[in-house]
Amino acid sequence: MRPSRGFVLVTVLVFAGDLLAGSLEVIVKDDKGRPCSDAVAYAAAGAASTAPKKQAVVDQRDKQFIPYMTAVQVGTGVIFPNSDNIRHHVYSFSPAKKFELPLYSGVPAQPVVFDKAGFITLGCNIHDWMIAYIAVLPTPYFQVTRGDGRAVLKDLPAGQYTVQVWHPALKGQPEALSQGVDVGGGTKSLQFTLPLKHDVRAKRAPGLTTGGYR
Amino acid sequence: MILLILLSSFARAEWRFEGQTGVVYNSNLSNSDRSADVRDDWAWNSDIRAGNALQLTRDLRLNFGADLRGQLWDRFDAFNTIGPGASAGLRYRFGLGRQAPWVLLENRFGYDWFQDTPQGGCDNVLNFQAGIALSDRIALEGGYAFESFLAPNDFYDRQLHRANANIVFDVTSSLQVTAGYIYREGDVISYAVPPRPDIARFSIEREDQDQFGQPLRTAYKLLGRTHTLSFSVAYQLMKYASVQLGYEYAVTTHDPLQYENHVVEANIAVAY
Repeated sequence: MRPSRGFVLVTVLVFAGDLLAGSLEVIVKDDKGRPCSDAVAYAAAGAASTAPKKQAVVDQRDKQFIPYMTAVQVGTGVIFPNSDNIRHHVYSFSPAKKFELPLYSGVPAQPVVFDKAGFITLGCNIHDWMIAYIAVLPTPYFQVTRGDGRAVLKDLPAGQYTVQVWHPALKGQPEALSQGVDVGGGTKSLQFTLPLKHDVRAKRAPGLTTGGYR
Repeated sequence: MILLILLSSFARAEWRFEGQTGVVYNSNLSNSDRSADVRDDWAWNSDIRAGNALQLTRDLRLNFGADLRGQLWDRFDAFNTIGPGASAGLRYRFGLGRQAPWVLLENRFGYDWFQDTPQGGCDNVLNFQAGIALSDRIALEGGYAFESFLAPNDFYDRQLHRANANIVFDVTSSLQVTAGYIYREGDVISYAVPPRPDIARFSIEREDQDQFGQPLRTAYKLLGRTHTLSFSVAYQLMKYASVQLGYEYAVTTHDPLQYENHVVEANIAVAY
């Protein structure tokens, strides 16, 4: 039996798409030229069709959130296990997701589902220095930069993408720095220079006053 | 039932250990108004504390702890002191997060042993503080405290009202700066070489003392008003430790007496 022409055409297009899938290397630096870690690079090409990952994890260990920066696709559930032997109280005031996990130990039974794109700031009501971020993105193509300021977005189907970068200390909106790129086979590279505010995370070491932990 | 809830809360309570050590310099340890009577000195200061924080509800926290404080002066060892204490306090925060306004009511009770025994006694501080964040980098704090010191020798009994206001500025994640004002009103002890009929006239009590050596001085207990400006800096060295530098300029008056103190402090503080 001979395959139909239509079947052959679809098969060729699928293979061609795979062959043309490419990678995007994003290099992020601050405005002083230093590599910028914990930035989220993401590429969007219209409406995303891939289903979001079912779950991501933000742990609490030694009175710190781990990792400091998490990126998820819209619709992803995030679970917040408490690996310390004391209680934590996780909250967010961010417009994209306001929630509170009152004083708890162990692993919450239900994940928190992030159903709206935006950038979320997490805190602990008991330990003021605990802070972390979740970037909720309308695309499955994202990566958090490592210490060398690099992120590699893999397996991007061929096409035209708008690439943006966000960092908790970014001055202004990520749209202002967006870059367009054509992805085909192979790896393309983009560089971003981010204007950053002073990093003023709360301190864990003893401070000067009666506030904070006391 | 209540006991069970308390026991269960206690089991999940969070211990915190704090320590601080460093030096302090006082330009006028003798609280004297005449330059010939002024005696300055510096001391090695240490302080350790073990405390517990029990989160009773989302917004209410019970803090309690025990501490030990010590001070060793370089020249005037009559002022060397060591003293244990215990404290308990309730802190209420009006909402979630570190920027929520808060109030704190706490009491510390302690005993101070001085190398010169008659100065020793019990001290008690009832402290009310409140704070509000103006932004993620700037906070205001202020409050009122009532301090009382009771000694076997009545001459050293003292009572003091104190009001303070601070502005706290987080310059970076590692650097914190605080500027403040403190008003104190209450008993102070000023030392002077007699005869000082001008001070004797309005002193509450007086005693001849030898803490500052020869010539012998008279200690005058007075009701004084002190205005203090303070400035301090804390720099985070690592996750659990910071170095802290502080300066205070204080002017104490009881007309016609007036004396000044410059106090400089440098400490390493750790918390775990």
